[in-house]
Amino acid sequence: MVELSDIEMKEVDPSSGLQTTGTTTATSKDDKKDADTLTLDDIKEQVRTIEKAVNSKESRFILRVLRGLASTRKRLNEDVIRRLILFYYGSNSTEREILLGFAQSVSQPMDVDMEKTVSSPAPATNEKQSVSRPQTSRARAASLPEVDLYIHLIVLLFLIDRNSLKSALDCAKRLVDKTSVLNRRTLDLLSAKCYFYYARIFELNNMLDSIRPFLHSRLRTATLRNDFEGTAVLINLLLRNYLHYNLYSQAQKLVLKSVFPDHASNNEWARYLYYLGRIRAMQLEYTKAHQHLLTATRKAPQQTAIGFRQNAHKFLITVELLLGDIPDKATFKNPQLKRSLDPYYQLTLAVRAGDLSRFKEVLDTFSERFQQEKTWSLIIRLRHNVIKAGIKMISLSYARISFSDVAQKLQLDSPEDAEYIVAKAIRDGVIEASIDHEQGYVQSREITDVYTTREPMNAFHQRIEFCLKVHNESVKAMRYPPKKYNEDLETAQERREREQEELEYAKEMADDEDDF
Amino acid sequence: MATTTAIDTKLKEALPIYEKLKNEWSRKPPNVGKTDELLNALKNLFAEGGFYPSDSSEDTRGLHVARDTLEIAAQCAIQKGDIPAFERALAQLKPFYFDLENRIPESPYRYLLLGLNLLCLLSQNRLADFHTELELLSPKIIQTNPYIKHPVSLEQYLMEGSYNKVFLAKGNVPSPLFTFFMDILLNTIRDEIAYCMEKSYRQVSLNEAARILYLNNPEELAEITKKHGWKLEFDQSFRFADNQIKHENERVPADEIATQMIQYAREMEIII
Repeated sequence: MVELSDIEMKEVDPSSGLQTTGTTTATSKDDKKDADTLTLDDIKEQVRTIEKAVNSKESRFILRVLRGLASTRKRLNEDVIRRLILFYYGSNSTEREILLGFAQSVSQPMDVDMEKTVSSPAPATNEKQSVSRPQTSRARAASLPEVDLYIHLIVLLFLIDRNSLKSALDCAKRLVDKTSVLNRRTLDLLSAKCYFYYARIFELNNMLDSIRPFLHSRLRTATLRNDFEGTAVLINLLLRNYLHYNLYSQAQKLVLKSVFPDHASNNEWARYLYYLGRIRAMQLEYTKAHQHLLTATRKAPQQTAIGFRQNAHKFLITVELLLGDIPDKATFKNPQLKRSLDPYYQLTLAVRAGDLSRFKEVLDTFSERFQQEKTWSLIIRLRHNVIKAGIKMISLSYARISFSDVAQKLQLDSPEDAEYIVAKAIRDGVIEASIDHEQGYVQSREITDVYTTREPMNAFHQRIEFCLKVHNESVKAMRYPPKKYNEDLETAQERREREQEELEYAKEMADDEDDF
Repeated sequence: MATTTAIDTKLKEALPIYEKLKNEWSRKPPNVGKTDELLNALKNLFAEGGFYPSDSSEDTRGLHVARDTLEIAAQCAIQKGDIPAFERALAQLKPFYFDLENRIPESPYRYLLLGLNLLCLLSQNRLADFHTELELLSPKIIQTNPYIKHPVSLEQYLMEGSYNKVFLAKGNVPSPLFTFFMDILLNTIRDEIAYCMEKSYRQVSLNEAARILYLNNPEELAEITKKHGWKLEFDQSFRFADNQIKHENERVPADEIATQMIQYAREMEIII
């Protein structure tokens, strides 16, 4: 998910960079200025929302701000960052110097020419602003660590996008240090985001293995503090970390020993299920893996996060093939997935045809790509699925066939091989047949009508269960207005009390009558 | 400071034993009992001296000695046929092979022992663990290294059902140490083949059954037939027709259907 948004960013950046460097005409300069001011205003609005969230202790608002982070991120540039820092930090604050330092570390290697055009008018406006509203903003920034973190996070994102990894690393370290000192529940969502980018930066710097102890200790704290968002993000980061180095046994242990919080956001759930699916697939538990990966693709955002969906689909298709199913053709036709899934389409065709030489060809052509995508080790396991598909086709089309013919058709080395393979296929229930060893042939049995068995019932049962599960999960995923639930309960209780009273009243009446 | 001197003294203590161990092990054939004794003495020293991997010490001499000793321990365990001991040694060796990769030069035995470990897992049918271990190795190594390639292709044969290739593979093991696990593996496979025969063959003669199971010895065959409950018919053959009759038109599974329906009703209730 992250990789992709980064690619997107890289595509966007040069064009905006060009725009800024090529500001020879006055009109485009003004446009840009307006856009900057707009962005700045948006961020200020977001900061106000954060303040509101802190004051009312409603973390929902922070969630809203963070959801807007992606679009804010695309609009950042040096000017916005500088004005932002100057606006929120007092002139004598050390924080301001440090953050400005980070921001400047980016602009130095960039085009000098732009520096000239922009910096000459910029200080004037900056000073005006910092002079015009000095007291309030300064006091605020100091009083609310949430705002401080948010701005720091924006600076960090900016650094990541500008690819200045070294200073981003320092910046991230500082940021995370800040989060570890504080213990405020309103910070949870923000710090979860911080961890995420912290790990991302280390990954970009290829130092992923060095932060494992840090993540573990943070995970412990987050679990103890019941910080569910933090826990979810940290578990996912650790899993990503382990799987990056193919440490499946460690990842498996982490999954066993930790509980993924139910309340975590959908995106975190999607990530978690994706990692879980990968672990299970590796351990040959394909049914479970399939379930997890399918849910992951469903939970993932449907419009954005193309990279994540591409990856999840790659694993999903491979696992489906391993299960002996043929993936839906519509998946390959999806315009967003089509290109990246092409090797997997070729693979599916080979498996479906039960054609070993074609399978080998696909494996050879795309071997490097599969290895890079980490599906290679799963794909080489497909070989016996290809053979099974081949045997199935032979069994369907021939009533009786000799082993030497089977060997020839499946491109096996010898008729003996064929005999053992067919025997195993019969035992695994791939085909219905029996072997005549003396004569050296395999005879297919009459195919029984599936509808006389319990197969259809089981299939229906599975689907009904799935639908019910989806329904229950969606009910759980809905957000209910706070305290509404409580009110309802009270009225119900009141009603009961009322009924009780009425009952007693009636009883009294009856007693009265008895007395009479 | 105190810890480093402790390591030094322990190292001095350990080195002569280590030399002795190496001599003992390189003798042909090695004296397993004696080696074991030396190994135990060394392992105690390691535990006290802290030779086992940690981030703190820069000194890699201790690590070297510890690794080589563990390698001998693993090979010695195979000689004795002690699988738990082998697994223990491998578990201790893995940090040396993977986490300390960059700190000490690669051991010539690395892939031999990792390959043995894979085969060990395979022979016990622990496929999930097998694949977990395999993921730690790069695709290139898997495809080219003879020690690793051997168990990997065995696993493939097993999955496909080309059992005769497994029997053939016994003839070209990359190291004599592999034979120990190969024998275990072949026994597991014989059982597998026997199951397949029950399901797929109508009848098979005594001699052919022995050939299919790769058995030369009538006693072993008798053992397997007894285990699977096969009966020898008058014409010196086994018949398996009973196993293949489908039990069709079985009774209606009332219990199961009832529970399912009640469950649906419950869920519907919740929805409404």
